[in-house]
Amino acid sequence: MSVEYLHKTRITNHTGFQRAVGYIVNIFSRFSIEGKIGLFGLFLVILMAIFAPLLSVHSPEKITGGTLEPPGTVHLLGTDELGMDIWSQICYGARMSLFIGLAVACIAGIGGGALGILAGYSGGPVDQLLMWVIDVIMALPAFPLLIVISAFMGPSILNVILLLVLFSWAKPARIARSQTLSIKTHAYITAAQNYGATPLYLLRRHILPEILPILLVLIIGITSYAIIAETGLAFLGLGDPTSKSWGMMLNYATHFGSIYFTPYWQWWLLPPLIALIILLLCLAFISRDLEKVLDPRLRQNGGV
Amino acid sequence: MIEKDKQILISRFLITLFVILAINFFLPRMMPGDPFSTTSSNIQGEDVVVMTQEQRMYYMNYYGLDRPLPEQFITYLKNIATGDLGKSISYKMPVSDVIRIHLPWTILIVTGAIIVSTILGIALGTFSARNRKKSSDKLMMTGLIAFAEIPSFLLGIIILLIFGVYLRLFPLAGAVTPFAQYGNVLEQAGDIAYHAFLPILTLSLAQLTGVYLLTRNTLITVSTKDYIRTARAKGLGEKVVWTRHALRNALLPLVTRTGFIIGLLMGGAILVESVFSYPGIGLTLQTAVVGRDYPLIQGILLVVAISILLCNLIVDHIYRRLDPRVTV
Repeated sequence: MSVEYLHKTRITNHTGFQRAVGYIVNIFSRFSIEGKIGLFGLFLVILMAIFAPLLSVHSPEKITGGTLEPPGTVHLLGTDELGMDIWSQICYGARMSLFIGLAVACIAGIGGGALGILAGYSGGPVDQLLMWVIDVIMALPAFPLLIVISAFMGPSILNVILLLVLFSWAKPARIARSQTLSIKTHAYITAAQNYGATPLYLLRRHILPEILPILLVLIIGITSYAIIAETGLAFLGLGDPTSKSWGMMLNYATHFGSIYFTPYWQWWLLPPLIALIILLLCLAFISRDLEKVLDPRLRQNGGV
Repeated sequence: MIEKDKQILISRFLITLFVILAINFFLPRMMPGDPFSTTSSNIQGEDVVVMTQEQRMYYMNYYGLDRPLPEQFITYLKNIATGDLGKSISYKMPVSDVIRIHLPWTILIVTGAIIVSTILGIALGTFSARNRKKSSDKLMMTGLIAFAEIPSFLLGIIILLIFGVYLRLFPLAGAVTPFAQYGNVLEQAGDIAYHAFLPILTLSLAQLTGVYLLTRNTLITVSTKDYIRTARAKGLGEKVVWTRHALRNALLPLVTRTGFIIGLLMGGAILVESVFSYPGIGLTLQTAVVGRDYPLIQGILLVVAISILLCNLIVDHIYRRLDPRVTV
């Protein structure tokens, strides 16, 4: 491999990177007000998750006050039935919800996307088998199955993530596959192949740039799906009892006997509820604006 | 061609059903240990009854667990086909009876939610399409879309807090007033409707946006068609044009939407029933999960899954009857 060639590739990589940055900046600059609010909100929640130890005085897992204290100066949002600080639980809970949501979305989005591209590119029996599996998974009633399988597998974060990935990789795979199929038919791909382009080069240069933006939209969608599903499971009592996610907080609060006849719900039930709704709305705003910006690509994905 | 489509639909249904049955069958068998390690000791692990090898063999033989897996699977399928879903541990009665008691409540709120969300969604969607590009349309659309992002059980908690806790207008739990004496059937129906109101409201609000958007978009597409212009040219009133000509043609996609909704509603109902302590199949599932009542959990999964699959199959069938152009 000549030095000249290496030099050339570095230049193309560099411009490619610049192009990608420019592309992303361009997308975000075309966001509406709602989308920008969504980005800002998500940014705040991420900051809250990262700097949870700095933002909270008390440990979320230690008894630091009296039982069910109302909000005050010592405990910003009051305490729960065990005397644990609710504000720190919210801060640390943001970690849990975001981590599960993003982990599931990245694994399912990238893994599913890769499988879809592979199937679409290679075709034949691999493609048929994958489509068959996708059809079955998409027809399965996801939430009831989630409940039953996690009831058997036992509550742990890893299990929840694995299960959610299992139920959410099908959609990105399907869309990546149909996109790859439609890209493959273009004349410029044939032209590139005639010039001796390897499959890897085609993938990097032609297929990925087309598919990545769509995968990004899907990943954000899967993030909120995973957060909702994790909250639902935790709310039913199937969350990891050692971790305090926002769903677990809802579960403890609503299962506290006669909470609705007391004022406790005001500072015990409302904070996780509001936090979850804000996070989900932000994700939805971002996802809708991304979709709007990338709309012409999304529309041609072959009736998914 | 149509026969082939039907075959594809039915084979897809059967394959999915088989996958669910297989999950249901293999899940408990993949868990570490065997049933006798749990029945031979109580929950705290006290009073451990140690089984000798012979006793264990005897019970394995008695329950048919020493047979090869394929044979066990066939026995399992036979039992299900005859409606035998095993015995619930916590209710101390057959799983099928537990489900038979609780399923009607779920059917009640799911049906109620389908009716309410469809009627309300069509009405709002028609209003929005007729006032297209006016501020009322834009406002309604933005509001409803943002609304749709809140999952049904979180919405349920909010509704419960507003109407049940703060305003004290509706009951917090249950499907009927405990120990109530009803003078007549009407009174009883009123009490049931009173208790079902909030769960139905929650479920239908969660599904409303989907119906609304579909109605609005289809109506806007339809309203550019030639036959709408013809109808206007004939001198028909706006109301007749929108309802008789536009809406009737826009209803078709709503049929598939309804089938699709049923699956979502059944899933949502599990959580919403938990929020309102409504004694349907979802709340039963939750108590079963908390009490580790595995036969009941599996029975409920089977019933819910099969009803969702059946609804999808029926809706696909109806849809293709209504619109012969559709292929799988």
